[in-house]
Amino acid sequence: MLDQHGVRIAAVSYDSQEILSGFAEKHRIQYPLLADRDSAVIRSFGILNINIAPGLRAHGVPHPVDYLAAPDGILIRKYFVANYMHRVTASTVVLREFGVVSENAARVTLRSGALSAEIGLSTSKAFAGQHISFIAKFKLDPGWHVYGAPLPEAYTAASITFDDPQIIGQSFELPEAQPMKIAALGETLPVYGGSFEGQGSLLLKFPLDAGRIVLEGKFHFQQCSDSVCEAPETVLFELPLNIEPFLVATPKK
Amino acid sequence: MAYEIPDDLEEKAAIMREFGRMRAAGEPVSPELYAKPVNATNDRYTTGPGPGERIPHFALPDHKGVIRSLANLSGPKGLLLVFHRSADW
Repeated sequence: MLDQHGVRIAAVSYDSQEILSGFAEKHRIQYPLLADRDSAVIRSFGILNINIAPGLRAHGVPHPVDYLAAPDGILIRKYFVANYMHRVTASTVVLREFGVVSENAARVTLRSGALSAEIGLSTSKAFAGQHISFIAKFKLDPGWHVYGAPLPEAYTAASITFDDPQIIGQSFELPEAQPMKIAALGETLPVYGGSFEGQGSLLLKFPLDAGRIVLEGKFHFQQCSDSVCEAPETVLFELPLNIEPFLVATPKK
Repeated sequence: MAYEIPDDLEEKAAIMREFGRMRAAGEPVSPELYAKPVNATNDRYTTGPGPGERIPHFALPDHKGVIRSLANLSGPKGLLLVFHRSADW
Protein backbone atom coordinates (compact mmCIF):
# COMPACT_ATOMS: atom_id res chain seq x y z
CA MET A 1 0.00 0.00 0.00
CA LEU A 2 2.78 2.41 0.93
CA ASP A 3 4.80 1.25 -2.06
CA GLN A 4 2.26 2.70 -4.50
CA HIS A 5 3.00 6.11 -3.01
CA GLY A 6 6.78 5.85 -3.36
CA VAL A 7 7.49 5.04 0.27
CA ARG A 8 9.42 1.91 1.21
CA ILE A 9 9.56 0.29 4.60
CA ALA A 10 12.27 -1.27 6.76
CA ALA A 11 12.17 -2.56 10.33
CA VAL A 12 14.85 -2.44 13.04
CA SER A 13 15.19 -4.69 16.08
CA TYR A 14 17.96 -6.04 18.28
CA ASP A 15 17.60 -9.56 16.90
CA SER A 16 20.42 -11.30 15.10
CA GLN A 17 20.45 -11.66 11.34
CA GLU A 18 19.76 -15.39 11.76
CA ILE A 19 16.65 -14.83 13.82
CA LEU A 20 15.41 -12.20 11.40
CA SER A 21 16.10 -14.43 8.43
CA GLY A 22 13.97 -17.21 9.93
CA PHE A 23 11.22 -14.75 10.82
CA ALA A 24 11.18 -13.20 7.34
CA GLU A 25 10.95 -16.60 5.71
CA LYS A 26 8.27 -17.90 8.04
CA HIS A 27 6.05 -14.85 7.66
CA ARG A 28 6.97 -14.12 4.02
CA ILE A 29 8.14 -10.63 4.83
CA GLN A 30 9.07 -8.69 1.74
CA TYR A 31 10.76 -5.69 3.32
CA PRO A 32 14.22 -5.54 4.94
CA LEU A 33 14.56 -6.46 8.62
CA LEU A 34 17.65 -4.78 10.03
CA ALA A 35 19.73 -6.43 12.75
CA ASP A 36 20.76 -3.90 15.41
CA ARG A 37 22.51 -6.48 17.61
CA ASP A 38 23.76 -4.32 20.46
CA SER A 39 21.00 -1.71 20.10
CA ALA A 40 23.58 0.80 18.85
CA VAL A 41 21.27 2.36 16.27
CA ILE A 42 18.39 2.26 18.75
CA ARG A 43 20.59 4.26 21.13
CA SER A 44 21.73 6.67 18.43
CA PHE A 45 18.12 7.53 17.67
CA GLY A 46 17.62 8.25 21.37
CA ILE A 47 14.77 5.77 21.84
CA LEU A 48 16.33 3.10 24.02
CA ASN A 49 13.80 1.92 26.60
CA ILE A 50 15.64 2.53 29.89
CA ASN A 51 12.96 0.94 32.06
CA ILE A 52 14.04 -2.60 31.28
CA ALA A 53 16.72 -3.94 33.61
CA PRO A 54 19.70 -5.94 32.34
CA GLY A 55 18.88 -9.63 32.67
CA LEU A 56 15.36 -9.20 31.30
CA ARG A 57 14.96 -10.49 27.77
CA ALA A 58 13.59 -7.16 26.63
CA HIS A 59 16.67 -5.25 27.82
CA GLY A 60 17.86 -3.16 24.86
CA VAL A 61 14.48 -2.78 23.09
CA PRO A 62 13.45 0.62 21.76
CA HIS A 63 10.32 2.60 22.41
CA PRO A 64 8.21 1.66 19.42
CA VAL A 65 8.56 4.71 17.20
CA ASP A 66 8.08 4.77 13.44
CA TYR A 67 9.88 7.40 11.40
CA LEU A 68 8.83 8.62 7.99
CA ALA A 69 12.03 10.06 6.54
CA ALA A 70 12.50 11.83 3.22
CA PRO A 71 15.16 10.39 0.89
CA ASP A 72 17.61 13.07 2.12
CA GLY A 73 17.27 11.92 5.72
CA ILE A 74 15.10 14.78 6.95
CA LEU A 75 12.28 13.52 9.12
CA ILE A 76 8.81 14.18 7.70
CA ARG A 77 6.84 12.72 10.57
CA LYS A 78 7.13 10.28 13.41
CA TYR A 79 4.53 7.97 14.90
CA PHE A 80 4.47 6.69 18.43
CA VAL A 81 1.91 4.54 20.17
CA ALA A 82 1.94 4.51 23.96
CA ASN A 83 0.56 0.97 24.11
CA TYR A 84 3.47 -1.02 22.75
CA MET A 85 1.39 -3.90 21.54
CA HIS A 86 -0.54 -1.87 19.02
CA ARG A 87 1.20 0.02 16.31
CA VAL A 88 0.08 2.93 14.21
CA THR A 89 -1.98 1.45 11.46
CA ALA A 90 -0.96 1.67 7.85
CA SER A 91 -4.26 3.53 7.38
CA THR A 92 -2.98 6.40 9.48
CA VAL A 93 0.22 6.67 7.47
CA VAL A 94 -1.70 6.53 4.18
CA LEU A 95 -4.18 9.16 5.35
CA ARG A 96 -1.67 11.55 6.80
CA GLU A 97 0.73 11.39 3.92
CA PHE A 98 -1.57 10.91 0.96
CA GLY A 99 -5.02 12.10 2.06
CA VAL A 100 -6.77 8.82 1.36
CA VAL A 101 -9.30 7.36 3.82
CA SER A 102 -10.48 3.80 4.32
CA GLU A 103 -13.86 3.16 2.72
CA ASN A 104 -15.57 2.24 5.96
CA ALA A 105 -14.12 5.03 8.05
CA ALA A 106 -16.59 7.41 9.66
CA ARG A 107 -17.16 10.71 7.99
CA VAL A 108 -19.38 13.67 8.82
CA THR A 109 -20.35 16.74 6.81
CA LEU A 110 -21.11 20.03 8.55
CA ARG A 111 -22.50 23.17 7.06
CA SER A 112 -22.94 26.63 8.50
CA GLY A 113 -23.48 29.74 6.45
CA ALA A 114 -20.75 30.06 3.85
CA LEU A 115 -18.66 27.25 5.28
CA SER A 116 -18.89 23.50 4.79
CA ALA A 117 -16.61 20.94 6.34
CA GLU A 118 -16.12 17.23 5.88
CA ILE A 119 -14.35 15.53 8.76
CA GLY A 120 -13.31 11.89 8.53
CA LEU A 121 -11.33 9.38 10.57
CA SER A 122 -8.46 7.39 9.08
CA THR A 123 -10.04 4.07 10.01
CA SER A 124 -13.30 2.43 11.07
CA LYS A 125 -11.68 0.40 13.84
CA ALA A 126 -8.82 0.73 16.27
CA PHE A 127 -7.41 -0.67 19.48
CA ALA A 128 -7.47 1.18 22.78
CA GLY A 129 -4.24 3.09 23.24
CA GLN A 130 -3.73 3.52 19.52
CA HIS A 131 -3.12 6.68 17.51
CA ILE A 132 -5.60 7.32 14.72
CA SER A 133 -5.82 10.27 12.39
CA PHE A 134 -8.52 12.48 11.01
CA ILE A 135 -8.72 14.76 8.01
CA ALA A 136 -10.86 17.88 7.77
CA LYS A 137 -11.69 19.37 4.36
CA PHE A 138 -13.17 22.84 4.31
CA LYS A 139 -14.83 24.88 1.60
CA LEU A 140 -15.87 28.52 1.83
CA ASP A 141 -18.14 30.37 -0.55
CA PRO A 142 -16.40 33.09 -2.57
CA GLY A 143 -15.93 36.31 -0.63
CA TRP A 144 -15.88 34.56 2.74
CA HIS A 145 -13.01 33.50 4.95
CA VAL A 146 -12.30 32.09 8.39
CA TYR A 147 -9.45 33.19 10.62
CA GLY A 148 -6.30 31.25 11.21
CA ALA A 149 -3.62 31.80 13.82
CA PRO A 150 -2.07 33.84 15.35
CA LEU A 151 -4.87 36.27 16.13
CA PRO A 152 -5.56 39.21 18.38
CA GLU A 153 -7.81 38.27 21.28
CA ALA A 154 -11.09 39.54 19.91
CA TYR A 155 -11.07 37.02 17.06
CA THR A 156 -11.63 33.26 16.86
CA ALA A 157 -9.24 31.04 14.93
CA ALA A 158 -10.55 27.89 13.26
CA SER A 159 -9.91 24.79 15.34
CA ILE A 160 -11.09 21.23 15.73
CA THR A 161 -10.88 19.70 19.19
CA PHE A 162 -12.19 16.53 20.76
CA ASP A 163 -13.33 17.20 24.29
CA ASP A 164 -13.85 13.52 24.95
CA PRO A 165 -12.50 11.47 27.89
CA GLN A 166 -11.84 8.59 25.48
CA ILE A 167 -9.16 10.71 23.83
CA ILE A 168 -6.06 11.44 25.90
CA GLY A 169 -3.97 13.23 23.34
CA GLN A 170 -4.68 15.14 20.16
CA SER A 171 -3.26 17.49 17.63
CA PHE A 172 -4.65 19.34 14.62
CA GLU A 173 -2.67 21.13 11.95
CA LEU A 174 -3.83 23.52 9.29
CA PRO A 175 -1.58 24.90 6.59
CA GLU A 176 -0.24 28.40 7.10
CA ALA A 177 -2.99 31.03 6.88
CA GLN A 178 -2.58 33.85 4.39
CA PRO A 179 -2.52 37.45 5.59
CA MET A 180 -5.41 39.48 4.24
CA LYS A 181 -6.06 43.16 4.67
CA ILE A 182 -9.58 43.51 5.96
CA ALA A 183 -10.70 47.00 4.97
CA ALA A 184 -13.73 47.11 7.25
CA LEU A 185 -11.60 46.36 10.32
CA GLY A 186 -8.49 48.22 9.25
CA GLU A 187 -6.40 45.17 10.15
CA THR A 188 -4.34 42.57 8.33
CA LEU A 189 -5.23 39.14 9.69
CA PRO A 190 -4.32 35.52 8.82
CA VAL A 191 -7.23 33.87 6.96
CA TYR A 192 -8.30 30.81 5.03
CA GLY A 193 -10.54 30.97 2.00
CA GLY A 194 -11.75 28.72 -0.79
CA SER A 195 -10.86 25.04 -0.27
CA PHE A 196 -8.31 23.98 2.32
CA GLU A 197 -7.73 21.07 4.61
CA GLY A 198 -6.12 20.11 7.88
CA GLN A 199 -5.03 16.88 9.50
CA GLY A 200 -5.01 15.78 13.08
CA SER A 201 -4.19 12.83 15.25
CA LEU A 202 -5.97 11.35 18.22
CA LEU A 203 -4.54 9.11 20.94
CA LEU A 204 -7.20 6.78 22.29
CA LYS A 205 -7.34 6.07 26.02
CA PHE A 206 -6.21 2.72 27.32
CA PRO A 207 -8.07 0.66 28.42
CA LEU A 208 -11.35 1.05 26.52
CA ASP A 209 -14.19 -1.46 26.32
CA ALA A 210 -14.50 -3.22 22.98
CA GLY A 211 -17.39 -2.24 20.75
CA ARG A 212 -18.73 0.82 19.06
CA ILE A 213 -17.80 4.14 20.59
CA VAL A 214 -18.61 7.66 19.49
CA LEU A 215 -15.96 10.37 19.50
CA GLU A 216 -17.33 13.83 20.21
CA GLY A 217 -15.67 16.75 18.52
CA LYS A 218 -16.09 20.50 18.24
CA PHE A 219 -15.43 22.65 15.24
CA HIS A 220 -14.86 26.23 16.40
CA PHE A 221 -14.61 29.06 13.88
CA GLN A 222 -15.63 32.54 12.88
CA GLN A 223 -16.65 33.25 9.31
CA CYS A 224 -16.37 36.70 7.82
CA SER A 225 -17.01 38.35 4.49
CA ASP A 226 -15.28 41.54 3.42
CA SER A 227 -17.84 43.62 5.29
CA VAL A 228 -19.31 41.55 8.10
CA CYS A 229 -18.28 38.92 10.64
CA GLU A 230 -20.68 36.34 11.94
CA ALA A 231 -20.50 35.55 15.64
CA PRO A 232 -17.98 32.83 16.49
CA GLU A 233 -19.60 29.42 16.14
CA THR A 234 -19.07 26.00 17.64
CA VAL A 235 -20.47 23.05 15.73
CA LEU A 236 -20.56 19.74 17.59
CA PHE A 237 -20.09 16.52 15.68
CA GLU A 238 -19.78 12.80 16.34
CA LEU A 239 -17.66 10.17 14.66
CA PRO A 240 -18.23 6.49 15.43
CA LEU A 241 -15.35 4.07 15.82
CA ASN A 242 -15.16 0.36 16.59
CA ILE A 243 -12.79 -0.55 19.39
CA GLU A 244 -11.30 -3.99 18.81
CA PRO A 245 -11.33 -6.46 21.73
CA PHE A 246 -8.28 -6.33 23.92
CA LEU A 247 -5.77 -9.05 23.11
CA VAL A 248 -2.64 -10.05 24.89
CA ALA A 249 -0.22 -11.75 22.50
CA THR A 250 0.43 -15.24 23.75
CA PRO A 251 3.99 -16.52 23.66
CA LYS A 252 4.81 -19.17 21.09
CA LYS A 253 5.44 -22.57 22.61
CA MET B 1 22.85 9.80 23.71
CA ALA B 2 23.55 9.56 27.44
CA TYR B 3 20.80 7.83 29.34
CA GLU B 4 19.82 8.26 32.99
CA ILE B 5 19.13 4.98 34.78
CA PRO B 6 15.78 5.09 36.62
CA ASP B 7 16.01 4.28 40.33
CA ASP B 8 12.97 1.98 40.26
CA LEU B 9 14.37 -0.56 37.81
CA GLU B 10 13.94 -3.42 40.28
CA GLU B 11 10.29 -2.61 40.88
CA LYS B 12 9.61 -2.37 37.17
CA ALA B 13 11.45 -5.63 36.53
CA ALA B 14 9.22 -7.35 39.09
CA ILE B 15 6.08 -6.03 37.35
CA MET B 16 7.37 -7.18 33.97
CA ARG B 17 8.38 -10.63 35.28
CA GLU B 18 4.99 -11.12 36.92
CA PHE B 19 3.21 -10.16 33.73
CA GLY B 20 5.43 -12.53 31.75
CA ARG B 21 4.65 -15.32 34.22
CA MET B 22 0.90 -14.77 33.93
CA ARG B 23 1.04 -14.78 30.15
CA ALA B 24 3.17 -17.93 30.00
CA ALA B 25 0.79 -19.64 32.41
CA GLY B 26 -2.16 -18.64 30.24
CA GLU B 27 -3.74 -16.69 33.09
CA PRO B 28 -6.31 -14.10 32.01
CA VAL B 29 -5.06 -10.51 32.08
CA SER B 30 -7.60 -7.73 32.47
CA PRO B 31 -6.94 -4.39 30.76
CA GLU B 32 -6.47 -2.78 34.18
CA LEU B 33 -3.81 -5.32 35.13
CA TYR B 34 -2.15 -4.98 31.74
CA ALA B 35 -1.88 -1.25 32.31
CA LYS B 36 0.81 -1.91 34.98
CA PRO B 37 3.52 -3.35 32.70
CA VAL B 38 2.49 -0.90 29.97
CA ASN B 39 3.02 2.06 32.29
CA ALA B 40 6.29 0.58 33.60
CA THR B 41 7.53 0.12 30.04
CA ASN B 42 6.44 3.55 28.81
CA ASP B 43 7.72 5.55 31.76
CA ARG B 44 9.69 8.59 30.59
CA TYR B 45 9.46 7.49 27.01
CA THR B 46 11.52 9.30 24.42
CA THR B 47 10.73 9.43 20.74
CA GLY B 48 13.94 10.68 19.20
CA PRO B 49 14.35 13.25 16.41
CA GLY B 50 11.43 15.47 15.44
CA PRO B 51 10.03 16.52 12.06
CA GLY B 52 12.49 18.73 10.18
CA GLU B 53 15.51 17.18 11.89
CA ARG B 54 17.92 14.80 10.24
CA ILE B 55 17.70 11.18 11.37
CA PRO B 56 21.01 9.68 12.54
CA HIS B 57 23.16 7.91 9.95
CA PHE B 58 22.95 4.13 10.25
CA ALA B 59 24.35 1.08 8.44
CA LEU B 60 23.01 -2.32 9.49
CA PRO B 61 22.87 -5.80 7.96
CA ASP B 62 19.42 -6.86 6.82
CA HIS B 63 18.06 -10.37 7.25
CA LYS B 64 19.90 -11.46 4.09
CA GLY B 65 23.20 -10.14 5.37
CA VAL B 66 23.35 -7.10 3.07
CA ILE B 67 24.44 -3.85 4.71
CA ARG B 68 21.63 -1.31 4.38
CA SER B 69 21.46 2.40 5.02
CA LEU B 70 19.00 5.14 4.09
CA ALA B 71 20.37 5.54 0.57
CA ASN B 72 19.63 1.95 -0.46
CA LEU B 73 16.43 1.57 1.57
CA SER B 74 14.46 4.68 0.71
CA GLY B 75 11.81 4.84 -2.00
CA PRO B 76 11.47 7.94 -4.20
CA LYS B 77 9.21 9.58 -1.63
CA GLY B 78 10.89 8.26 1.49
CA LEU B 79 11.37 5.47 3.99
CA LEU B 80 9.15 4.36 6.84
CA LEU B 81 11.61 3.07 9.45
CA VAL B 82 9.84 0.96 12.05
CA PHE B 83 11.54 0.27 15.38
CA HIS B 84 10.04 -2.75 17.09
CA ARG B 85 10.84 -4.93 20.07
CA SER B 86 11.70 -8.32 18.67
CA ALA B 87 10.91 -10.84 15.98
CA ASP B 88 11.71 -13.60 18.43
CA TRP B 89 8.94 -13.29 21.01
